[in-house]
Amino acid sequence: MIAERDVPPNDVIRLPRTGRAWRALLLLAVSALFVAGTWVGQDDWWPFSPWRMFSTSTSPSGSVTAMRIDVLIGDDPTWRPAPLAPSAVGLNRAEVEGRIPQITSNPAMLGTLARSHSQLRPDEPAWRAVRVVKHEVLLQNRAPTGAVRDTTLAQWSAP
Amino acid sequence: MRFWSWLFSPVPLARVALLRRAVYLFVIIDVVYLHTSGYYHGWSDPVWYQPLWMGKLLHLPAASVPLVELLRWGSALTAVLALTGRLPRLTGWAVAIAWIWYQYVAFSYGKVDHDRGDFVIALLVLPMIGAATVSDRRLSEAAGWAMRAIQLTAIATYFLSAMAKLRFGGPEWVNSATMLRAVVRRGSWFGEQLLHVPWTLHWFQWVLVGLELLSPLIFFVAERWRRRMVAGWYLFHLITFMMITIAFWPHLVMMLAFLPLEEYYDSWRARRAARRAGRAQGAEPAPTETSQSTGAAGGGTAHAAVPPGRRLRLRATQR
Repeated sequence: MIAERDVPPNDVIRLPRTGRAWRALLLLAVSALFVAGTWVGQDDWWPFSPWRMFSTSTSPSGSVTAMRIDVLIGDDPTWRPAPLAPSAVGLNRAEVEGRIPQITSNPAMLGTLARSHSQLRPDEPAWRAVRVVKHEVLLQNRAPTGAVRDTTLAQWSAP
Repeated sequence: MRFWSWLFSPVPLARVALLRRAVYLFVIIDVVYLHTSGYYHGWSDPVWYQPLWMGKLLHLPAASVPLVELLRWGSALTAVLALTGRLPRLTGWAVAIAWIWYQYVAFSYGKVDHDRGDFVIALLVLPMIGAATVSDRRLSEAAGWAMRAIQLTAIATYFLSAMAKLRFGGPEWVNSATMLRAVVRRGSWFGEQLLHVPWTLHWFQWVLVGLELLSPLIFFVAERWRRRMVAGWYLFHLITFMMITIAFWPHLVMMLAFLPLEEYYDSWRARRAARRAGRAQGAEPAPTETSQSTGAAGGGTAHAAVPPGRRLRLRATQR
């Protein structure tokens, strides 16, 4: 913290005492919010939410989970993977992943994805059913084993 | 008081002008090209809306198509106005409100990105300084405080994210498979290669936490080392981007607050002027970038006459 200056003070635009005081207090308050957000806050404290990118621990021999959506189009009975991306359904993968309990108790939420898809991509065929699938990549000693596991968690069909 | 003079140690207003250019230019690039999840929330059903604390306090509604269009293009338009340098307070506050609200729309659907909290501070403190032009080399304490606030927030993101790892991942985070998970979920070609050498991702986690915990040292080292540390962080972010294709773009802009931008600007102008002078003189050798280039640079500043190396020692800038 070196603060030496070698110009005459009159070259400097000084702050009045009150200007310094409120700036120092503001910085103190914002710092307190950031620190409190880190230790007790949750994501809904944003912009003071904890900086938790990649902060959770993953077991070296567990599994890596990613959700996927599959859809039915027209008369085709085959489920096809569909993009779970903002430009296709208005939401991204993590936003759907975070709401799994609500989706399983209210699968109609998946129907809103079909509707958003029709509005965002009117040239593509409409989805008549949507299901959300948990896709797991199994790990052993920090390396993928090559095995995967798919589980359907919820499903919606157009009435 | 030493801390007091450190917190308000003055910087040239030109540095503020240059940082503003970078910040407002980034806002335009961000809303137009980079960060689009908020935009598409305009089309998602309000059933997915999860108001954050800020939205509850201010009664912010769920996104709609007109709202996201207004916020996106409002951010871009006000940033263009702010880039002109006119009415810096008014335009700066307008950018801050539009961009922060637009981020709010992006984050109030269940996923909060953790690289954008610090940029909020940059947008809020920059309008507090008032007029600043690139040719204005007067030193200002208000500018010095704003730069400190941006620097402190930028470094806090590193240090506090180490704290968050401790809180959410526990001390065993460094030995967990978190980077492996990140590569599996959104890996790149480079990341895939590292999957075959699992210890690299494992050790990366130790190095990462070490660097994050030591990041506040940047405030205690000499100028030369400070610049090296900033360069080191840029290198770190490049490696992260190669591994998991994630870059904390707004944070990279914030880190510019550590650098003597007006000096880089001067030497860039001097070099450019020297090149032009060299072309104009045809076969004659190009003048060096020291005193000969002052007239051509036309910046009207005394500093351009000093060779860049000397200038570092002469400059009375924030250390």
